[in-house]
Amino acid sequence: MNEKPDESVVVIENLTKVFKDFWRRPKVCAVDNISISIKRGEVFGLLGPNGSGKSTTIKVVLGLLHATRGQVRVLGRVPTDVSVKERLGYLPEESHLYLYLTARETLDLYGKLFALEKRIRKERTEQLLEMLGLVDAADRPVGEFSKGMARRIGLAQALINDPDIVILDEPTSGLDPVGCRQVKDLILTLAGRGKTILLCSHLLADVEDVCDRIAILYRGRIRAHGQVSDLLEERDSLRVTMPAMPPGLTQEVLKLLKEKTGTEPALDHPAMDLETFFLDVLKEASARSEPGSRPAGERSVADYLRPGS
Amino acid sequence: MEAVRQPVCLLLSATCVLLTAIIPMVLMHNLGEDGRIARDSGLAFHLVFGLFISGYAACSSLSREMHSGTAAVVLSKPVDRALFFLAKYAGVTVLVFLFSACACISTLLAERTAERFISNSTLLGYVTDWQTGKMLIGAPFVAFLLAGIINYRWKKSFQSSAFFLLFGCLVVVLLVSGLFDQAGRWAPYSLHIQHRIVPGGILVTLALLVLAAIALAFSTRLSIVPTMTLTGAFFVIGLLSDHWFGKLAAESAVGRCLYGIVPNWQNFWCADYLARGGTIPMGVLWGTAVYALAYTGAVLCLGVLSFRSAEIK
Repeated sequence: MNEKPDESVVVIENLTKVFKDFWRRPKVCAVDNISISIKRGEVFGLLGPNGSGKSTTIKVVLGLLHATRGQVRVLGRVPTDVSVKERLGYLPEESHLYLYLTARETLDLYGKLFALEKRIRKERTEQLLEMLGLVDAADRPVGEFSKGMARRIGLAQALINDPDIVILDEPTSGLDPVGCRQVKDLILTLAGRGKTILLCSHLLADVEDVCDRIAILYRGRIRAHGQVSDLLEERDSLRVTMPAMPPGLTQEVLKLLKEKTGTEPALDHPAMDLETFFLDVLKEASARSEPGSRPAGERSVADYLRPGS
Repeated sequence: MEAVRQPVCLLLSATCVLLTAIIPMVLMHNLGEDGRIARDSGLAFHLVFGLFISGYAACSSLSREMHSGTAAVVLSKPVDRALFFLAKYAGVTVLVFLFSACACISTLLAERTAERFISNSTLLGYVTDWQTGKMLIGAPFVAFLLAGIINYRWKKSFQSSAFFLLFGCLVVVLLVSGLFDQAGRWAPYSLHIQHRIVPGGILVTLALLVLAAIALAFSTRLSIVPTMTLTGAFFVIGLLSDHWFGKLAAESAVGRCLYGIVPNWQNFWCADYLARGGTIPMGVLWGTAVYALAYTGAVLCLGVLSFRSAEIK
């Protein structure tokens, strides 16, 4: 299965999913006639409030739910085809793992499901544990993990097979800002390696930071879709960013602009976002308190997930 | 291994061992029937506790995983649904075998503990083997203590360690007990252990495996409570199969059909054969094993078909 770079690896056509009650009567229409096409190497975001049909769509793509109408193709095959799943990685909305297995056993188990060699399983397990900051908790049962830690181990199992398509359902849910940044960086790293990412979230900032294209779902229907930059761009206004000017010069420029355009221009100082500021503070504090130690949030990406590996 | 690590299964197994051990020690004035009562009680505890363990393990390994989302994660990997279903059954089978081994050894030791009439150069009269009884009662506590130490020292799972150690301790008690008579003198092994009980334990184990298959098949579509309820109903109906459908089977095709569909648990209960020093004929053992295999195979096939089309939410 050699895909061309612009080939669609996930194709959803007129998908409708109706859940039925015990008597097989229609109960709720979770997804209503949606069509999406995701190209190789693309980071695609499915946005929407709770109950909008995001997770249902993902589960149909994974072959866990059956479409009521329409069809889904993943890498050109039906999603229930087991061979397709060898190239998928899936992080569910909640990290549903075997509570009595340790983190290391969990990753080894999922590695075995992909029939990975023992040596590779061991290498990847250690790299993922290191990447996600779980080395100290590697031999603790997953059931004892905090939500954030469970999320990290869930992410690790999704990447154990170095998948071509990564499906992430609310990947930053339950993570602290450092973890969120790390996940977003990881998504961008994976995309840089040509991986296709299907991201599902209701955290808009996360989606905006990493997605190339998005679709907004509401009550099972797509309400908007397209390139993030196109959707968010305000074409009837313009922003110019430049180094600070002397006050007199600023007033002259503003006056000139007002005269030429006939509108009142707005002037402000560009501000960094809170996430960047927070991470900078942590980085600084970490470097100050433990000279030589690696600042929080700068753990390396697992070797086998790096570009060129 | 996940099934073995469930605390409920460990607790039920330890309780089964303790109850089996206590019975011969609290019995009084049974006119020489202590051995039979200990044996029948042991087999009954084996069946009843096994019913809960196999049913619960089957439900939690599939139904709970399907509802919690764990199954969704596993089935998003290249795992065939039929294989997943059968692997779940294999996991439950390991648990049932482990539990059954513990229960069966406990029954052997309880029977050995039970009061019996001894007449030899040093003993004359009814004697209870308190030594064996104490060792049997002590086995779960020793297993738990060792599992606690292992958990503290090497951070290994307490539940699975305790389960395997319980089995190990019971084997040790069986060997020690088997090498000494009631007076504490060395005796050739098996002279004082009634191994003829083992086939009875094997039959109960087969019944549990059939029951586990039924519970697992129901789990593909139902949540835990309906699954446990229906499995329990199947158990009760199966106990009364001869009474309800036996006569009907001789009279009509519908009756024959019902008689064939409902598992007949009477086939698996052979305590009567063991009365008055009797043994379970090998023909009965093999016949029941074939019946159990065929029934389990059919139920698992239906379970696979059901699971293939099930939706994993």
